[in-house]
Amino acid sequence: MKRPWASLLLMLPALALLAVVFLWPLLQVGLLSGQASSVLTGLEPVANGGANWQRLLRDSRFWDDARFTLRFALVSVGLELILGLAIALLLHRPARGRGLLRAVTLLPWALPGTVLALGWRWIYNDPYGPLNALLQALRLPAHGFLTSPASTWLFVVLADVWKCTPFVALLLLAGLQSIPAELEESLRLEGAGRIQILWRLTLPLLTPWITLALVFRMAQALGVFDLVQVLTRGGPAGSTESLALYAYLQAMRFLDFGYSATVVLATFMLVALLTLLGWLLLRRPAPTPAGTRELAR
Amino acid sequence: MRALLLLWSLAPLLWQLYSSLVTPEALVDPQAVAAGGFWTLSNYRQLLEADPPFWRHLFNSTVVGAVSTALTLALAIPCAYGLQQQRGSLRFATVLALLAAAIFPTVLLFLPLLQLARSLGLGNQLLALSLPYIALNLPLAVLLLRAAFADLPADLEDAARLEGLHQTARLRHVLLPLLAPALGSTAILVFLFSWNEYPVALTWISRLELLTLPPAIARIAGSSLFTVPYGAFAAATVLGSLPLLLAVLVFQRSIVNGLTQGAVKG
Amino acid sequence: MSTMPSATTGQPFPASGPAQAGGEELRLLGIGRRVAERPLLQELTLTVAPGECLALLGPSGCGKTTTLRLLAGLDPVSQGRILLGNDDITEQPPGSRRVAMVFQSYALYPHLSVLGNLELGLRLRGVPAREREQRIGATLELLQLSELRQRRPAQLSGGQRQRVALARALLRQPRLVLLDEPMSNLDAQLREELRPELRRLLCGNGPPVLYVTHDQQEAIGMADRLAILQNGRLQQVGTARELYERPVNRFVACFLGRPAINLLPQEGGRQLALRPEHLRPSQGEGLAARLLRREWWGAQQLCWLETSRGPLRMLLPSGQQLPDSLQVCWERRDELWFGADGERLEGVW
Repeated sequence: MKRPWASLLLMLPALALLAVVFLWPLLQVGLLSGQASSVLTGLEPVANGGANWQRLLRDSRFWDDARFTLRFALVSVGLELILGLAIALLLHRPARGRGLLRAVTLLPWALPGTVLALGWRWIYNDPYGPLNALLQALRLPAHGFLTSPASTWLFVVLADVWKCTPFVALLLLAGLQSIPAELEESLRLEGAGRIQILWRLTLPLLTPWITLALVFRMAQALGVFDLVQVLTRGGPAGSTESLALYAYLQAMRFLDFGYSATVVLATFMLVALLTLLGWLLLRRPAPTPAGTRELAR
Repeated sequence: MRALLLLWSLAPLLWQLYSSLVTPEALVDPQAVAAGGFWTLSNYRQLLEADPPFWRHLFNSTVVGAVSTALTLALAIPCAYGLQQQRGSLRFATVLALLAAAIFPTVLLFLPLLQLARSLGLGNQLLALSLPYIALNLPLAVLLLRAAFADLPADLEDAARLEGLHQTARLRHVLLPLLAPALGSTAILVFLFSWNEYPVALTWISRLELLTLPPAIARIAGSSLFTVPYGAFAAATVLGSLPLLLAVLVFQRSIVNGLTQGAVKG
Repeated sequence: MSTMPSATTGQPFPASGPAQAGGEELRLLGIGRRVAERPLLQELTLTVAPGECLALLGPSGCGKTTTLRLLAGLDPVSQGRILLGNDDITEQPPGSRRVAMVFQSYALYPHLSVLGNLELGLRLRGVPAREREQRIGATLELLQLSELRQRRPAQLSGGQRQRVALARALLRQPRLVLLDEPMSNLDAQLREELRPELRRLLCGNGPPVLYVTHDQQEAIGMADRLAILQNGRLQQVGTARELYERPVNRFVACFLGRPAINLLPQEGGRQLALRPEHLRPSQGEGLAARLLRREWWGAQQLCWLETSRGPLRMLLPSGQQLPDSLQVCWERRDELWFGADGERLEGVW
């Protein structure tokens, strides 16, 4: 006979490790944020109440970074969803060499972020990089992609979109493949055009996948670190400094662990809030195929 | 359309390849081909003759990746099996928690993990990196494997039970052989994530010869070790991408299946 | 004390073994199973003699598969006891009960060959190689699977897979054999062909056999007795004939018999039930009826009639001619009366 506690025992080692690596650090971060621990205190933690938090609220660099991070995440994820859907639709249609195309499409996502960021540094280089060479060939002036504080963030977004769209595309492709072909065929028989099919059938049925991709990417994008550290180092003039980078700098360069923890915790709350929001907004249960026939009438 | 997609995906990478194979002068101004010539392997030579040589980092990443993958699977299999046997709210809550952990941007844990490393003396030890890597990959691995267990016909294990096979025997002779594709996909994804991980590797290891690939690249990016660095940068990019490139091309079906299966059941 | 199949009867079961005549009696004493306040099976009491084949019959959700799983030990019993021979096996884990089960899906290990499928259990229980070979060889012979021993399940037909599942079950020299709709994956013709074969292999001198199906033809063809279940309760147990001629309630009366029995409502909420083959056109007095339609069924015809008391179906030899308006009559002794609660009323004329 089955003993339910035996299966719990099986889960124990893995869950124990997870608790140590996830829960305990989160607790630590919470604790640290309420303490001063920096060079000033001789690197020893000293409780200082909400002082770190008060500093956070007044820290304009924090809020600038938060604005950038949010902007970055929203624009990045938005573009990735649109582009990802297009790519997924493209990959969905049967064609020769589809496997190879999928593999190639996957490449940007599979490669290490720092490696790609390094590559993009040269691509964006002013004036010698290939993009500027292209501009010059078109008789346009060279652009400082990574040197103008107002627009650099867009090019960081581009690099991120290039890397992460394949993941979204794959997810949406899985969703497309789970839609029975008969549904589309039946709509086509009723005279619906491509756009209509997309709008009335494909997108509603794809909603759970879109939600999954959105939630996943949103959380990851809000924690962007690799890209900004290697590509721009947070510049120019801190305009592309993400919250994660700020927390890292506070800890590793300024050795202010207490404040770093505070930034981390604030970022975590932001991530939690936004992913929850995204999930709640899009969480309509996907219509069943039978229900969709009703939709199509 | 498809050609466009191909171009979009490959162009930056092809550009890296090109840049790595031309002389620094040719890179800056292709028209004025100076005395050094156009094509060259000097960029690669610089990397391989550096201290430590570049292949060292590839080696480090491979070792950590392999160890992490093996141990992650070792922990994830029993956990996924046990989880699949749970019912109702306990299972739902655990799956939800694992999903949250899988989505969580792990860079936010770098500080306390660093403290963990310091207090346990794990800093600057290559294999010690496996510990956080295993933990960071477990949520995804457990979710994927649980879905794979759920896919197996229920009768199969019942028949094995009736034949008198106890749990370990059932896992070893019946369930795991059938799970081979899912195990493969999960292994590759875990390996991939371990290879590409940056913040923890950055903070746990400072000795140059122990650096894994991502922090090594970042160090190259931040340094002025090279005269006109971009040729060497490109070479580093190519060398850093090559192993994974091959892996993806060979295992693409596995990777895609792993991701999509996880999404379907997740 | 040979373990080879007996040359005369072809039975795969050893002459030796527990208790008498190579089989033990199975007794279910008020067993039940409840899951989260919902009773799947309630107070089932049954006895199955050694070598007897008992069919569990009923609509989906009636508890027949639940019963099987309880007997196999795959699910825990909420109440009652299970006695096999002299042993109370209620608490025993499935592996130690020596119960064999053939699943609806056959549950063959897809990654192993036929030989591998048969060998796994024996091997892991430490049966020495020579004995394994001997027993497996004999079983393969018996079920005519010898040529297929290297094939994988995916390369076998439905009928072949069923035989492998059977072989695996019989190899254990089980004390009890359970079959869960073993024919449902096969087409109708194959089912009919395999029925006598299956009966020959399973029922006879050996362990009791419990056979679950929703197909009454199959149940009647396979089993010595039938047990009809509905909503987790045993309705009636007996030979097919007993259940057909003397159903204990309306449900059993309607469940058995094709075409279905006729039900005519009467005063007081009672119902008069008549089998289609017991109706005939009357020469004189009878119930006025109008012929709606005739279906030709080979040797017989099914006539659909409309009467003042309700619709009727009548079964006649197919050659017989019928006018569009006729009188229908029947023997008093063929009447079955049911009360408002569905129970059969005796002695109503």
